[in-house]
Amino acid sequence: MTCYEHTFIAKSDLTESKNEKLIEKYENIITKNQGKIIKTENWGLKNLSHKIKSNKKGFYFHIKFEGVGKTVEELEKEENIDETLFRFLTIKVKKHQLETNSIEKTSKK
Amino acid sequence: MPIRKDRRNKKKGKGSKYSKLSLFQKPGVKFFKPCPLSGKNAPIVDYKNIKLLKKYISESGRILPSRITSVSQGKQRELSSAIKRARLLALI
Repeated sequence: MTCYEHTFIAKSDLTESKNEKLIEKYENIITKNQGKIIKTENWGLKNLSHKIKSNKKGFYFHIKFEGVGKTVEELEKEENIDETLFRFLTIKVKKHQLETNSIEKTSKK
Repeated sequence: MPIRKDRRNKKKGKGSKYSKLSLFQKPGVKFFKPCPLSGKNAPIVDYKNIKLLKKYISESGRILPSRITSVSQGKQRELSSAIKRARLLALI
């Protein structure tokens, strides 16, 4: 099993209940394909440093998981189709850092 | 034999602690800065650590060369990949 970190950005016109559904959906895909979720983080709504596909803001979600190559393949295949997401990134890490939230959640105004 | 030993002890080139920057520099003055990202208690280079990464990019967002920041070769490679990942996620 290899350790992976996955981040994806969703469009800013989502509601809270839809957010939770999004995370659940991708968690299910990971667990179905021989993966194991270790931690999920919600970084909240953030301003993008530059425009991406005419979006200025986005909801950030971060998943730390263990899995095999097929897990990542299926996950990214699903995300490519999804229209509510516009950017994602998967990287391999040697070891998970679990002490603190890497990026604090931005509070709502 | 003693002459050879003397030669070996003398350090030359870029890696030396006392390498000269100009001809008129006083002898024995240090110009060597240790790498701020390696050694004990050094911060971890990661694409999520935006505070750290912002120290190593210019105002216009370009990566600073290691000859200015004195980051070691291996860490500079880690740093540049971390900065590029952060750019992809629009964090920087």
